[in-house]
This record gives sequence, C-alpha cells and structure tokens, in this order.
Amino acid sequence: MEVNGIPNVRTCIAPLLEGVAVRMQDRLASWPQNNTDNAFVSTVQDIDILIVGAGPAGMEAALQAATFGASVLLVDENQRVGGQLIKQTHKFFGSKEEKAGTRGISIAKDLEDQLCDDRFKDKIDVLLDATVFGFYEDDTEDRYTFGVISRKEYKSRLIKVVCRSVIFTVGAMENMLLFPGNDLPGVYGAGAVQTLMNVYGVKPGERVLMVGAGNVGLIVGYQLLQAGIKVDRVVEAAPTIGGYHVHAAKLRRCSVPIYTRHSIKEVFGADCVKGAVVVELDDHWNPIQGSEEIVTCDTVCLAVGLTPSTRLLEQIGVDMALVPEAGGYIALHDERMQTSVPRVYVAGDSSGIEEASTAMIEGKIAGAMAAKQLGYQQEKAQTAYEGFLKELKRLRAGPFGAKPRDAKQRIQRLWRKRP
Amino acid sequence: MKRKADVVIIGGGVNGVATAYALAKAGLDVVVLEKNYLSSGATGKCGAGIRQQWSTAENTELAIRSVQMFEHLSSDLGMDIEFRQGGYLIINHSEKELRQSEENVEMQKRLGLNVRLLDISEILSIVPVLDLKGIKAVGATFCPTDGHANPFLTTFAYANAARKHGATISTHTTVTGIKTKDQHVTSVKTSKGTIHTSWVVDAAGVYSKDIAKMVGIKTPNKPYRKEVLATERLQSMFEAMVISFTDGIYFSQQQEGQIVGGIPIPHEQIGLYKTPTFSFLRHMSQTLTRYVPLLRHVNMLRHWTGFYDVTPDARPILGEDRTVKGFIHCHGFSGHGFMLSPMVSKLLTEYIAYEKTSPILDRLNLDRFEGSNLTQEHSVVG
Ligand SMILES: Cc1cc2nc3c(=O)[nH]c(=O)nc-3n(C[C@H](O)[C@H](O)[C@H](O)COP(=O)(O)OP(=O)(O)OC[C@H]3O[C@@H](n4cnc5c(N)ncnc54)[C@H](O)[C@@H]3O)c2cc1C
Ligand SMILES: Cc1cc2nc3c(=O)[nH]c(=O)nc-3n(C[C@H](O)[C@H](O)[C@H](O)COP(=O)(O)OP(=O)(O)OC[C@H]3O[C@@H](n4cnc5c(N)ncnc54)[C@H](O)[C@@H]3O)c2cc1C
Repeated sequence: MEVNGIPNVRTCIAPLLEGVAVRMQDRLASWPQNNTDNAFVSTVQDIDILIVGAGPAGMEAALQAATFGASVLLVDENQRVGGQLIKQTHKFFGSKEEKAGTRGISIAKDLEDQLCDDRFKDKIDVLLDATVFGFYEDDTEDRYTFGVISRKEYKSRLIKVVCRSVIFTVGAMENMLLFPGNDLPGVYGAGAVQTLMNVYGVKPGERVLMVGAGNVGLIVGYQLLQAGIKVDRVVEAAPTIGGYHVHAAKLRRCSVPIYTRHSIKEVFGADCVKGAVVVELDDHWNPIQGSEEIVTCDTVCLAVGLTPSTRLLEQIGVDMALVPEAGGYIALHDERMQTSVPRVYVAGDSSGIEEASTAMIEGKIAGAMAAKQLGYQQEKAQTAYEGFLKELKRLRAGPFGAKPRDAKQRIQRLWRKRP
Repeated sequence: MKRKADVVIIGGGVNGVATAYALAKAGLDVVVLEKNYLSSGATGKCGAGIRQQWSTAENTELAIRSVQMFEHLSSDLGMDIEFRQGGYLIINHSEKELRQSEENVEMQKRLGLNVRLLDISEILSIVPVLDLKGIKAVGATFCPTDGHANPFLTTFAYANAARKHGATISTHTTVTGIKTKDQHVTSVKTSKGTIHTSWVVDAAGVYSKDIAKMVGIKTPNKPYRKEVLATERLQSMFEAMVISFTDGIYFSQQQEGQIVGGIPIPHEQIGLYKTPTFSFLRHMSQTLTRYVPLLRHVNMLRHWTGFYDVTPDARPILGEDRTVKGFIHCHGFSGHGFMLSPMVSKLLTEYIAYEKTSPILDRLNLDRFEGSNLTQEHSVVG
C-alpha cells in the first residue's frame, strides 16, 4: 500500500494517523512523489547495552542492566513493548512467583510501567517501530555497530547504533506447513490470529480449522471460541496432545474435537479459503489413503511450532548448533547467556523455545551479567545472578519443564565441547 | 574423483566454467575444482553489468567481442541467462572528464562500438529520474548495446553445457597443491585426491594469488572488499546502468524493479574483510539519493559484500606463465571479470586447444609488470 505518497508501506502494522492518504498500489509500487526532507542518517553512540526485542526477556534484561547502572537502548519493531505478551489475554499457568494466574497483557503492562519508572529515566531509552537489521564492522576494538531502521510517519530513518554489549531477545518465528493452497487468504499463523483478535479486535473468520494441539493451538482455539467463532476441530499429527491438559479440557468441554494422528492435506477455494482436506496418519506419519475428510471452513490456523530467531546472531558469527528440542538452530550459550562472541548475549525464545516465565529470568540473567561484564556493581550483579539461576532451576524442575530442561542441558554440553 | 585430465580448472566462478565449456566443446577432457559451490566467489556477489566503454583498447575489445557472444549465449547454452541491453550512461562532471570521454569515444568508435556523447538535454530521456543539478552533470556518454545478465544463471548455464560436453565439475573440492617437474605442471592435489594433468587454469578469483604461490609464482593482485545494495521493487523507470568515475557509483534498475548498485567504501583498506560496513551504507544511500532524490523513501532490502581481485593497472592477467609451463593465469579482473568471461574463455581455449596465441593475450600476460610502462585502465567504478 502507498501512504502519503510513500510506497510499500505495510499498512497492516502501521499506525493509522489523522489525515493520511492511503492508496492501493499496483504489484510494483509507483515511484514516490515526496522528496523534500534530507536528514535520514543519524548515529547513536556510547550506549552500554543494545537490547534487540522488547518482549518479556528484553524488558527484564533492560531493567536489570539499568538497575546495576548500565545505559540501555531497547529497540522493538512493534509500536508498543511486550512482544508476544500483548496478545495473551489468558491467565498464565505455572508458578505463583512467575506471575501464574496473571494475564500476559497485564505482565507486559507491569513491565512497561517499570521501564517508565523515574529511576531509569537516564538509563533506559526505548525505541519503538524500529528494526535492527544488520551487524556492521566497527573500527573500535571493543564496540559493536548495528544498523537500525526507525519508522516515523511512514518514512524510514537509518540509524547507526554503536554499543559495548548486545543482548538478543528477538523471540521466535512461527513454523509454516507445505500443502497446496497454503497461500490462500484465510490461512493464518496462530500469531496473526491472536493479533487480529486480541490486539485489534478483528474476527479472522467465522469457522476455523486449527492445526496443532500444542499449548499455542489449544489456547488460541479457546480464544476463538470466546470471540464467538466456531472451531470445527483441532488436528494434531502426533499420537498425543502436546499442550497442557487444562487447555485441552477447556476445548473439549465446549465440544471441539481434537483428532490426534491427523494432519492437513490441502486447502481449497478460488481466491479465499472455502474448506480443507484433513487426513489420518499412520505410525510413520504418512497419510493413510482413503482417510481424507473435507472440513468446511473459511480460516485455517497453523499452530505448528516456533523456530528461534537467530539471523542476526548468525551474521555476527556466533557458534550455532542444531538442537531440535529447542526448536531448531540456536546460538550456543553459557549459563550467563553469553554466546561464543564476547559481550554478545541471547535470552528468551531466541535462545531456545520455552515460556514467558523462563524468558523473563533468562532476560534478567543476561541483563545483570552484561552489566557486570562492563564493570557495573560486580558483586551485587553476581549475587543477583546466582538467585536467578536458582529460580530458573526451580521453574524447570517440574514435569512440564522436561523438554526445555533437556534442551538447555544439551546446549550446555555442546557449549563445553566447543573447540 | 577423476585421476587424470587434459586440463584442470581451479575455480567454479563464471570464468572457470566458461573456460570449461569452451575447452570441453573443443574436445578436451576437463575437470573444474571448486572449493564451495558454483558462483560462490565474486561471480555470485557481482553487479553483473556488461560495459564496452573502457579507456584501454584491450578491455574495450574484449568487452565488444564478449557482447557479441552474450547476444546469442542463451541459445548457445540452451538456458536463459537474462541478458538485457539497456545501455550504460556514463555521467561527466567536469570539462576534464568530458575531454577524457571524447578521447575514449574516439578510440571505442575506431574499434567499432556504437557509442556517442550526449549533451545535458539528452540525459533525461534515458534516465528521467536523475537530478542533473544535484550531481553537477555537464555531459555524458551512452552505449545502447551495453547491458546486464544474471550471474548465477550464466554460471549454471555454462556449467550445464560444459557437463553435456563431457566436463567434470567437482564442487566442495579444495585445491591444496600443484606439482611441477622441470618447470612443467604435472598434477594437482585436492582435498579429495590427486589429478594428473599438464594444464592448470588458475581461475580462483581473489584466491588466485594463493594458487599461483603453489608453483612459486608471485602475482601483484590485491583484494578489495566491495559492497552492493538492493532496494525494494518499483515500477520500471529506466533500463540503463548509470555510472560516474568521479563518484565511483554505479546503479541500475533490474527487470524485477529493484535498484541495485555500489560505490567504493570510504577509507577502505586492502584485505579480505567480509563484514559489511556502515560507512558504505551511509555513503551509498547519500550519493544514490543525490543522483535520484525520489529514492529517499524507498527502503533497502539487501546489502552484501564481495571482493575485487585488483591488479596494478586494473586489467586482467591472462595466458600461460612464462616460467611455469602449463600454468594458465585467468584472474586479476579488477571488478570487471563477469562481462569479459565469454572472450576470456574463447582466447584461453584457442591457446590451450589449438596453440593459437593473440596480441591481447600477449599484452595481458603477467610479464607486463616487469616493465615500467603500464597502460592504466581508468574507467573503473565501485
Ligand atoms: C498462544 C501463546 C500462549 C502462550 N502462553 C504462555 C503461558 O501461558 N505462559 C508462559 O510462560 N508462556 C506462554 N507463551 C510463551 C511466551 O509468550 C513466549 O515464550 C515469550 O513471549 C518469549 O519472550 P521473548 O521476550 O523471548 O520473545 P517475544 O515475546 O517474542 O519478543 C520478541 C520481540 O522482539 C521483536 N523483534 C524481533 N526481531 C527484532 C529486530 N530485528 N528488531 C527489533 N525488534 C525485533 C519482536 O517483534 C518481539 O516484539 C505463550 C505463547 C503463545 C504464542
Ligand atoms: C561487488 C562486486 C560487483 C561487481 N560488478 C561487476 C560488474 O558489474 N560487471 C563485471 O563484469 N564484473 C563485476 N564484478 C567482478 C566480477 O564479479 C568478477 O571479476 C568475476 O565474477 C570473476 O569471476 P571468476 O570466475 O574469475 O572468479 P570467482 O567468481 O571469484 O570464482 C573463483 C572461485 O574459485 C574458488 N576457489 C578459490 N580457491 C580455491 C581452491 N583452492 N580450490 C578450489 N576452488 C577455489 C572460489 O571458491 C570461487 O568460487 C564485481 C565484483 C564485485 C565483488
């Protein structure tokens, strides 16, 4: 879409301002008309820590680092802080200390208030609607340079950010499935469905086929029901339901069937989804001929897992490894959340898919240790770190923590085995 | 892995595979050794512009005759390489540059090139979005048969055609040594075994220096990091490649709509540095928007680095080494090795397969650096 003469604006995520002119553009944008202003490159220097991504991990990292005295620039590509949390209207599950029983959106609000606290006025800068897009060479030995695009009134500004340390709390990307028709309007990732319903108050459709019975599929399925949308069924390729029993039970009580050992084969419709074909799978996850069934729906919601976002880390050249339990390729890191490149940290889903509760503690660890490494209140930071480590262990101790526990143990082993 | 071949070519860039194709077609048994994948070197990073407007006769002639080959390369190789002739527009910013252009055009015309001087009013009919005042243009030259091709497709097309003629292409195979006997090449050592041969073509791009060192030859080539930027796609506006020797910039609009171009990195030092620089990004976006102010609100989509393999006179080093027999130099392209590849492969094949030498090969031999009178190529950008 074209906004105020500027082409290729993603109006689905751009803010709607008073008096803007929005036009549909052709497949290829026409050339922009507006060419008056000039100053589009600026530099932000002398920050201690750049934090990329203001989800729960990034916000906690910023708060910790600033508590010990480091100066922080927290950048997020959205128009508000919170990351995944702002979509989460359900009450969290888990331990009381880690805000179980609280809604995700309230946790985000609470962390946002803390970031705005007067104590941190000179320490934390938050830059929203801005994307960290690349790692650049820097002439100074102990500095890192990043390219950031900041959007204001639909125009992009290029910012060079120079920092001493960086923490990646960039979260994860949703997985997609390959099947005929997966590019039809009406096929969504669960994240988009959540954003439409819970952030924008827009119904994604009237009748939904949910693919995936992990926690995300189950929770979003229930939220769809709450929004008055019919959920035809949930299909899950694995022989068992992956998500927590409480979430599955809620759906079942509303008579939404969950078919395990079932998957989606194709979606049909001329220019939008009119229905889908689901199919039963055998012991080797292969479709069983003749078991196809047509599901009438206008929306297909894919909740088939997440993959850690690691592209910037990869560009920097940190040691990576494939850890399927953690969701894919991840940046190897030690217990302080530092990667193989000094002063480059990772935390939250970006370091392995887990939960907001653990993402927050990992964020705290990274924030405290990055500040300590730069020389801020070393003893206090160390004490805080030891406390956070204990909390993490406790959180992962239960039966629900088995998978991430295995993943993190594997990462530790691979970390120690590095040449 | 083969144990014996007539010719072993080191490097799976455009020059390596083009030469493999021509040699295989001439009936020779050829092996290409590439340490990564095809086009993983400069070829896959390049702007892939094809220009015939040079300041030295050798480059001009190589380019003119290469364009003649590019014009039917897709049908020769049986695969579309997206060759397109939108012309090159060279901007002049001063009287001095104008005079140099007049001189160049005269020489180029003598060699048969369709090229002419444009006055200010004609420039906008070729690239309407240029801000002529902002870039202080005083004139330009234009050659309508200059153009562009897809470097990946060109490499793959040459490689497929070479295989059809019996060539063997081994990717992920690193050359680790070359053996000679009485100053003659005898075999090539690789990570996957040894191949006996009496001809080796050093087409290893920026690593050609290391290959030459394996037989005790010192080459004067130096690696320079170069960067390219690509914007998001816009409706088609112009087809020409715009270049300036004063600013060092080059850019064009590709068929798919993105603007792609480069400029020298400010204060760049020689070396194999791979990380992109912010100084390029700043300098390129500021210069590009001085040329085309309408691009100020167009986003960059991608940005990458590659290497120029630069010689002291910015001209390639081609042909058999004077001391080590069977060792063929095919490197030092100094930022214009894609456009010359058809002719380079032809000349080297004539030499290896038919023992035919040519004045160009003679003048571009490594031994020219022993003399004191180098003919410098001035028309370099990026
Ligand atoms: C449906 C659903 C239900 C959930 N329920 C629970 C629950 O009950 N309990 C629980 O503990 N967890 C739950 N989770 C998991 C939890 O939401 C995530 O684990 C947590 O949000 C991860 O936090 P994070 O800070 O690592 O990443 P995110 O919250 O994903 O934040 C990352 C942020 O970084 C930004 N970003 C990424 N790249 C860039 C860049 N280059 N430049 C600028 N910004 C960038 C992103 O836009 C995003 O805002 C749920 C998740 C889903 C999807
Ligand atoms: C940014 C940029 C823009 C450019 N723009 C243009 C342009 O517009 N027009 C133009 O004509 N030219 C341009 N060039 C120059 C052009 O890309 C090169 O001159 C050309 O691609 C060189 O091709 P090549 O086959 O000789 O070398 P390369 O493509 O570099 O191939 C050499 C190969 O050798 C392999 N190799 C190295 N060592 C070994 C070993 N020991 N064993 C096995 N294999 C090995 C490498 O992996 C590599 O694949 C540009 C270059 C750059 C970097």
